[in-house]
Amino acid sequence: MGLIEEVITIELPVGESFRIQRCRYAPKKEEGIKRISIVSGIHGDELEGQYVCFLLGQWLRNNPDKIRGIIDIYPAINSLGIDSITRSIPFYDVDLNRIFPGSKNDFLPAQIADGVVNIMKGSDFAIDIHSSNVFLREIPQVRIAKSQEEILVPLANLLNIDFVWVHDAVTVLESTFAHAMNTIGTKTLVVEMGVGMRLGKAYGHQLLDGLLNLMAHEGILDIEPLAVRMPIQSHVGEVAYLNAACPGLFVPAIEHCQVIEKGSVVGHIVSALSGEVMDEVIAPISGMLFTIRAYPIVYEGSLLGRIFGKTNGDSQ
Amino acid sequence: MKRFDIVSLESPNRAPLRIEGFLFGEENTEGPSIAIVGAMSGDHINQLYVASGLVEYLRIKEEEGKISGRILVIPAVNAYALNMGEKNWPLDKTDLNMMFPGYAQGETTQRIASRLFETLKGYDYGIILEGRRDQGMCLPYVKLIQSGYEDLECVKDLGMGFIHYRPHEPVETAMLQYNWQLWETKAFSIVFGKNGSIDQNDTDQVHTAIVRFLSKRDILDFHVFEGHKSNILDPNRITIVKASRAGIFISKVRCGTAIKKGEVVGVIMDALSGKKLEKMLSPCEGIVTCQYAHPLIFQNSIAFRIASVELCCQIDAKRE
Ligand SMILES: [Zn+2]
Repeated sequence: MGLIEEVITIELPVGESFRIQRCRYAPKKEEGIKRISIVSGIHGDELEGQYVCFLLGQWLRNNPDKIRGIIDIYPAINSLGIDSITRSIPFYDVDLNRIFPGSKNDFLPAQIADGVVNIMKGSDFAIDIHSSNVFLREIPQVRIAKSQEEILVPLANLLNIDFVWVHDAVTVLESTFAHAMNTIGTKTLVVEMGVGMRLGKAYGHQLLDGLLNLMAHEGILDIEPLAVRMPIQSHVGEVAYLNAACPGLFVPAIEHCQVIEKGSVVGHIVSALSGEVMDEVIAPISGMLFTIRAYPIVYEGSLLGRIFGKTNGDSQ
Repeated sequence: MKRFDIVSLESPNRAPLRIEGFLFGEENTEGPSIAIVGAMSGDHINQLYVASGLVEYLRIKEEEGKISGRILVIPAVNAYALNMGEKNWPLDKTDLNMMFPGYAQGETTQRIASRLFETLKGYDYGIILEGRRDQGMCLPYVKLIQSGYEDLECVKDLGMGFIHYRPHEPVETAMLQYNWQLWETKAFSIVFGKNGSIDQNDTDQVHTAIVRFLSKRDILDFHVFEGHKSNILDPNRITIVKASRAGIFISKVRCGTAIKKGEVVGVIMDALSGKKLEKMLSPCEGIVTCQYAHPLIFQNSIAFRIASVELCCQIDAKRE
């Protein structure tokens, strides 16, 4: 059984404290061993990570003799948000993942960020599990900034995910949890999977296998590595974005993320008022539809999907 | 005055979003040009009020033949949020002032930012009326971030008491001021008021400062009285007073108050028992530039920011 502790406590104005809880699993002998932090709920409307935390905790409770390193599980970083369907830090309405590394001398969200960095400092690895948002559904993927490619891609390949997306550095992303942790030497992977406010059991089990495999490779668990899938690598192709050409109700023609052909119909934008089909959304390239819109109301520009296609010259 | 739509965006069900601009001055004037951007957020009511007040003021000045440059005022960027008590873009909750320079093929708010930015490019000067990004209120001040293209000299013509001049933070690279500067507009922000309200003193002061700027920069042909010789501040000159406890917060001072070391600036009470938890004392002599503006305060929240006489003396002494 893990040790449950309140690792961050900040007094709230009316008879309550903000808290972040951790469940720690550790072997008897703690010297010279590796430490991993499993993190979820930086965004309060993303719940897939909570299920992964449960599955991992359940596995560890059943296999205490296999534990060779420290495994810290943090299911709810934005605990106020998780319990109230609020993506940002309530009251302040600030996206916690845009103010890392935070500061003790600043407002509540910055203090939370600072506290999170400090309690996780010294971890060898951190896995930050996100589930997109309420608008988009994602297949299990890891997103890595270009500058971290060499260090992190080999690790991501162990995670039993479908896609590794290496993206160009964006200055704004320097204020994320992952950037802050990578900067201080904790190898941190950002997993995106599923959709906000819901949980999908299959993805949870898929990532559990990946976590067990990664920990087996790193000697944190004394088990045989698992047979995991090799993710598709973004450098072999390109990402096509499907944005709504007009406002309306988006009705997908495809239920789940899947491989599609160039020219096939991804969905329609329709008018609920006039009964007209306003636009047919067509795949501009062949490839894997790894993102699809889950929330039907769209404006011009709303993201409807993303397709990853291998580069062969025939894409847009 | 020419009133026109800068952006018009259809919505699935509600009436289209319109970002309206008000343009003053002759089309082919030799005079300098300036664009003034009002409420980008749905709780920036002070900013909306100053901008719309300027529209009316400039309409009269234009009739009197006093406009020698070219002035664009955009009172409300995010009317959708203003009309429903939201802060950000109502569908996806993104902050319009985190979307610059925008992207014409991107998400909805990137497209809005992109179309707006196309209009804003090329102005000589740019003023962004900003609210605070926290629960505070402050003495109106100029925020000038260092992008490498900023212009500190022109900002002094506002005659405002304080200019916060500091390096930019990573998130600010997605904000209008930074991007506008990169496109070589002398852009800066005036930050003032408490979000969601109108403060008559603060808004009057900002209105006057903008009129002074327009006059000094030969955009408005009109006499104005001199303002302050601005104090240039950076984070090293500010002393912070934090709440050691959470509870009900009662401030004993106002923004702009000159205080002595050891003076009581605020009190925190236990919200349930009514017991006094903390008497907050000023650690230095100075001027309160900013204070927490919500009656409930969190532990470790910044209750006051004080421009510190001691810190300024120390820094200036080191320089000599
Ligand atoms: Zn997230």
